[in-house]
Amino acid sequence: MADTPLTLLGLESSCDDTAAAVVRQGDGPADILSSVVHGQADFHAAFGGVVPEIAARAHAEKLDLCVIEALDKAGLTLRDLDGIAVTAGPGLIGGVMAGVMMAKGLALGAGLPLIGVNHLAGHALTPRLTDGLVFPYLMLLVSGGHCQFLVVRGPEDFSRLGGTIDDAPGEAFDKSARLLGLPQPGGPSVEAEAALGDPAHFAFPRPLLDRPDCNLSFSGLKTALLRARDQIVAEKGGLTRADRADLCAGFQQAVADVLAEKTRRALRIYMAEAPSVPALAVAGGVAANRAIRQALEEVADQAGVRFTAPPLRLCTDNAAMIAYAGLERFRLGRRDGMDLSARPRWPLDCSVPGLVGGGRKGAKA
Amino acid sequence: MQDGDIVHEMSEPMARGQAERLVPALEEVLAHTGQSWGDLDAIGVGVGPGNFTGIRISVSAARGLALGLDIPAVGVSTLEAVALTAPRPVTAAASASRGGAFYQVFTADGAGPPGLEHAEGDVTGWQILAARSDRDSPVMAFDAPSDTSTETLTTQPDHSLVAGIARIAATRHTDPALPRPAPLYIRPADAAPSRDLPPVLLD
Repeated sequence: MADTPLTLLGLESSCDDTAAAVVRQGDGPADILSSVVHGQADFHAAFGGVVPEIAARAHAEKLDLCVIEALDKAGLTLRDLDGIAVTAGPGLIGGVMAGVMMAKGLALGAGLPLIGVNHLAGHALTPRLTDGLVFPYLMLLVSGGHCQFLVVRGPEDFSRLGGTIDDAPGEAFDKSARLLGLPQPGGPSVEAEAALGDPAHFAFPRPLLDRPDCNLSFSGLKTALLRARDQIVAEKGGLTRADRADLCAGFQQAVADVLAEKTRRALRIYMAEAPSVPALAVAGGVAANRAIRQALEEVADQAGVRFTAPPLRLCTDNAAMIAYAGLERFRLGRRDGMDLSARPRWPLDCSVPGLVGGGRKGAKA
Repeated sequence: MQDGDIVHEMSEPMARGQAERLVPALEEVLAHTGQSWGDLDAIGVGVGPGNFTGIRISVSAARGLALGLDIPAVGVSTLEAVALTAPRPVTAAASASRGGAFYQVFTADGAGPPGLEHAEGDVTGWQILAARSDRDSPVMAFDAPSDTSTETLTTQPDHSLVAGIARIAATRHTDPALPRPAPLYIRPADAAPSRDLPPVLLD
């Protein structure tokens, strides 16, 4: 492609990571010139989850420092940029708002265009940044806040094939860890325990496999784990380490089985479109779980489809994906005004009804 | 504000939508005075205390503008802006949620620490403040509630909040040790530690 080189700054503050990054694309693949991510795990540790007000407070006083750091690392100044991309939703609204206002100030002050980016589009377009995937590809987004299958057809063209109707898998891992007294974030600690356990010792359900669609549910799995735990505690007065490992292994296997089977169904729908270069991409923190990743790779292999998962630092929340998604929108001529809104909910595919009711807790889109 | 004078000011009471309205409103104020962003030497911003989301909207925008324009942003407390021209001693106050009142006592010797008076039963934080202060340290605020028991005991500053912020910012923007503006919360984040007790490990 003979495109003019473009350099964008990206800002991300929709959950518990404050991030800024600079991405440049000329002829050929895009380069991440810098990507700064400051987590807030220590602030939230005592509360067993992300506290929105604590997150918003941290973002508001950290974002501009992240921007300065990202520009320094890239060896650039604001004058070298072509635009400012910012996550405008979905996410925890206090943090998204801090990011959007910071980006407006920066864009106006530096005389640069402003581009609002959907956080989920950032994740969904990352395989183009890392692996140069061509449209359309199938995307499974699995994280602490999201779980959905998307056919990605263009920078702003997504079809949702299905998603969770309650918790996201990462959320279920966190809650399971809490129920078993394991440290947060739950994903890595449950995975480490599961490696020592027997997945067949406790019977866990495989929610929604009896339905032909691509929707998922993880809330009941967490309840099954709680019941199994309470039954052991009632019998023995506590858990042995072997019990804990077996519970983790059984839970993880159930999540992996459900994701694999629903991915198989999503692939069938996707392959019916006869894509030119078929590919399955996985993004989100849960994609870091080796058992789940392996199960998904096998499904892709069986279907004869290329499998990609971006490296973990680009799989979890970051601003390089926001800068890149902004760059794709920028090339389509998209610009946002100073009245850009921060949105707590913002589905990528508005043609299908939402899976989770507007006012309910749970997955955000 | 230019050369010590407030050239133009505007304020629109609004319940929501501040995040969409703030920057266009700033552009209107500049356009009205025939100035452009490059003409500014500094930006003053109110840091509260007040509505957390509202404060973060203005503080985030000010920090972004400051970085974009390469000029300082000066955070100014609402309570300081209240007390700007008031004879000392004075108890500056501002509305908090659930009937509470933020306050700070300013005397000839300086300012005390800012605090929060919670409502107790039917008695609002404002009424508690009013009962505690006397004629020598009157309660002053931009936004006292209009119930009679507080109204009679509370006076209004002779300038607006935004003008007070600009005047105070103008006295500080050349300070080499100027901190970046940060919201003045006073009230900690509303969150309780997790109550889930982990199971007993038997081995």
